[in-house]
Formats: sequence, C-alpha cells, structure tokens
Amino acid sequence: MANPLLEVKDLNVAYGDVRALWDISLEVEEGSIVALVGANGAGKTTLLKTVAGLLRPLKGHVVFEGEDLARLNTKQRVDKGIVMVPEGRRLFQTLTVLENLRLGAYLPKARAGYDESLERVFALFPVLKERMHGKAGLMSGGEQQMLAIGRAVMAQPRLVMIDEASLGLSPILTRHIFELIVALNGQGATVLLVEQNIHMALKICSKAYVMKTGHIVLSGTGEELLADVDVRKAYVGERGSRL
Amino acid sequence: MSSLIQVVINGILLGSMYGIAAVGLSLIFGTMRIIFIAQGTMIVLFAYLVYWSFEKAGIDPYLSLLWVVPLALILGLGLFYTLFRKAAALEDRNVSLLLAVGLMYLIDNLILKLWSATPRGLNITYSDAMIVVSGIRVSWLRLALLGLGLGSALAVYLFLKRTRVGTAVRAASEDMEATTIQGINSVWVCAVSFAIGIALAGVAGVGMATVYSFDYQFGFIFAIKALVALALGGIGNVFGALAGGLLLGVIENLAAYYVGIEWIEVASYGIFMLVLIFLPQGLFGRRALVKKV
Repeated sequence: MANPLLEVKDLNVAYGDVRALWDISLEVEEGSIVALVGANGAGKTTLLKTVAGLLRPLKGHVVFEGEDLARLNTKQRVDKGIVMVPEGRRLFQTLTVLENLRLGAYLPKARAGYDESLERVFALFPVLKERMHGKAGLMSGGEQQMLAIGRAVMAQPRLVMIDEASLGLSPILTRHIFELIVALNGQGATVLLVEQNIHMALKICSKAYVMKTGHIVLSGTGEELLADVDVRKAYVGERGSRL
Repeated sequence: MSSLIQVVINGILLGSMYGIAAVGLSLIFGTMRIIFIAQGTMIVLFAYLVYWSFEKAGIDPYLSLLWVVPLALILGLGLFYTLFRKAAALEDRNVSLLLAVGLMYLIDNLILKLWSATPRGLNITYSDAMIVVSGIRVSWLRLALLGLGLGSALAVYLFLKRTRVGTAVRAASEDMEATTIQGINSVWVCAVSFAIGIALAGVAGVGMATVYSFDYQFGFIFAIKALVALALGGIGNVFGALAGGLLLGVIENLAAYYVGIEWIEVASYGIFMLVLIFLPQGLFGRRALVKKV
C-alpha cells in the first residue's frame, strides 16, 4: 500500500509550559479531503501550524511523502507543496488582489508556473479577476476567503491546509466555499480541513478526526461520524454542548 | 513677500534631509516595529566618512554616493544579522529598541574617539555657487539636497511597488507570520528593508556633509527630527514621510525667521505634539483600510 501523503506521528506540542497537543497521530491520503473538527481550543490550529513549520513539536514526527520534515522550515515546506490558508484569512489588506496572488507564488518553483496558476485561480474564482487591481481589504468576506484560498493555489500545493474557511460567512457563502474546496480537490489537491461547521465538513470529507483539548478522541469516515450519536449530540444541531 | 518665499524655499531644501531620514525610519519601522533611534547617528557616521574621504583623498562628496550607498547596504545587512536578527523575532520590541540605543551611543563615542569633538564641515569649491531667480537666492548645494530627497523617495517607492522583495516588504509590514506562511523568508525581507534604511542614512550622510557642520552628538537630535517628520507625514507612506520632512524644515525656518532662532525647537516639537494629539495618522498617512480581522 502506498504511503499516505501526510503522516503525523505521536505529535506533542507546547506553548512554553502550556501543553497544547498530546500524542496526535493522523494520516492524510493523497487526493483525499480530511477534516479536523472539534471545539475552540481543541488544538486544531496548533496542529496545522506545526505541520506548516511555524511551531516546533516537543516530540513526534511530521512525515510528508515518506520524508520526516523535522529539519525543514516553513519556506522549505511550502516548496514541498505544503500550503496553509490561515484562520481569519490573513490577507495583505493594503495590497491588491493580484499582489496577494503573486506573493502566493513567491518561491521559484511556483513562480515558474505563475501564468498557469493564475489562470486556474481565475477559473475557480472569477470574481478575483474582476477585482484584480483592487485592494484585498476592500472585498467582502466571501471574496476575501476566495482570495485566501486562491493565494494558496498559486503555490501549486500538494496539500492545502484550510483553517476555518467558513468563519464569519453566511450559510450561502459557506456552501459556495465548500463547493470550491471540493472543486479544488477534484483538480488533484489534497485537502486538510479545519472546520467549526462540522456538518458541512463531515459531508465533504472522506475521513475525519475529532479533537478535544489536545487529543484526538474519535476518527472515522465522514459518514460514520455524521451517524455517530455522540458527535451529533455534541456538534450537529446542538450548539454549545461539548463532546 | 520675497523674503517669505526665500524662507520657505530654504526650509524645503534643508527639510529634505529630515525627509530622507524619515523615509528610512518608516521602512525600518514597517518590518521591525521599532523607531530606529540610531538612524541619525548612522547619518552622522556616513557624513564623517564622506568628510574623511574628501579631506584625505579629495573625493567629491556627491561622487562619494557611489561608494557610500553600497557600503551602507552591506553595513546594514551586517548589522541586521549580527545585532537584530534574534531580537527581531521576539515578541517584545524593547530588546530591538535597546539594541538601537546601544548602537547609537557606541557609534557616537566611536566618532568622538576617531574624529574628536570638534565640529566638522566640508569646504567645497562650489559651495558658494548660487542661482538667483527674481531676487530669490538658492545655493546649488542646497538644491541638490532636494534632489537627493526626491531621488531617494522615488527609488524606495519603486522598490516597494515594482520588485518582488519590495512587495514582500509591504506584506511583512502588514503581517509577518502571514508572509512566512507564503514560503517567504521573512528574516531576509526584514534584513533587506533594514539595509535600505541604512542606505538612506548613507545618502543623507552625503547631504549632511555638504551643508551642515556636524559633531558626534548631532545624530540623536537628527533622529528625533526625523521622528517628528515621520509623525507629520504619517507612517507607511514614502512620499508622506518625505513631505513631513520638508514641512518640518519649513516650520523651523519660519519660526527662526519670524519668531527667533531660539524658537526653532519649541515650534517643531510643539507641532509634533499637536499632530500626535489631533492627527495621529499624520497629515498624509492612510487610515487602515479595514479593521484587522
């Protein structure tokens, strides 16, 4: 059997003295959509940041295509195709849409395919082409989320890690963004999705992990978890309750 | 009337120097989030080097730009990687600020040791050359200061707008971590913007050598003047910073001419306070486009 694209093994991460992740292990198969769900503070973002190389683990491994990434910094990981769409979008607001996209394709490998990538982004998100020369900060929330994903696509990613894509978006826009994520996946990008909109996330993913206070407490296919009584009680429909 | 015009023109020309320094401060502030208080001292250091090469080798100060700017860029990179690299990564900006203060006093005292406390100035053969237009007299050397200011601001503007690294500098000024997430080496981006800030100190040093009399203590005062200019112009806008410098020059000259030379500092710092209270984004600064998410 082929190795998974991304493999996280026994990952432990702390902020100073505060432990954030305990013994996290997960696998993301090439070409799949994997969802990471759980309440605020469960450690989902911490996990993505560690995979991106923004945080160093206390112990454990992040393995990409069979290679341990321990010695690689964020730049080298982006060059390998591990790209993150951060929570809150984190666009460069005073820069134009096009400048934001250009920065997404900053490294030589991505720059070589700049024209193709740009066409691909504009095909996925036609509104970005119309707004090309406008300031990123002046766009609506949905358009900004599209730009944030588009900026990641410019890096020609193998694995896109999307942190809370639906945050602050209306249900209609959320649905639209999810359709676009599925379309992106259809074009060959593997997706690791962190989501608060658990119902939607479980619907589009092939596999999901449920996190709680730094641990993975459940995993299974999207369908299994959607059917799971505990998950339904905790997250789907009944807001505010905790698993 | 013509004396008013004369005063304003002199103010603009001398203010160019504040403007260049303010552009440098703005660039360094953008990525390092500190007021680089040693900027004035760096300018004085370069003024001494220009003075020295003029005295010892007879090199024309404006010709000196050819070696001062590359030297300043290299020195800037060197200073960043030896002094500021680790401090720049810390959340606490005070470490970087204290390093800059230390650097300022270190260089001040190095200058004192090397060139003594005697104020220096250049005697250039063409220093008296004037152009006279309908009774208004402008020395070529002072006019050249405005050229240095406009040239520097334009160069920095084009760097920020037209180059990849320049775009990354603007991005890093907004959000350092998001810049890193794009796979951009943000340490290098900080180093480059710092080095260009020091290169601007080199350009200002050439200007200072040609028209000022300077000594080892002049740097700190000059840095504060650049800070005032930056506050007037508004952070994050290259031409705003230059304009802030020109405006400060005009304010100082008007105060000196109409109220008395001893009122120069009172006027400039008074206006500094007023601007900070009533227009904290500066006269030409942009308001943030949207509240940060």
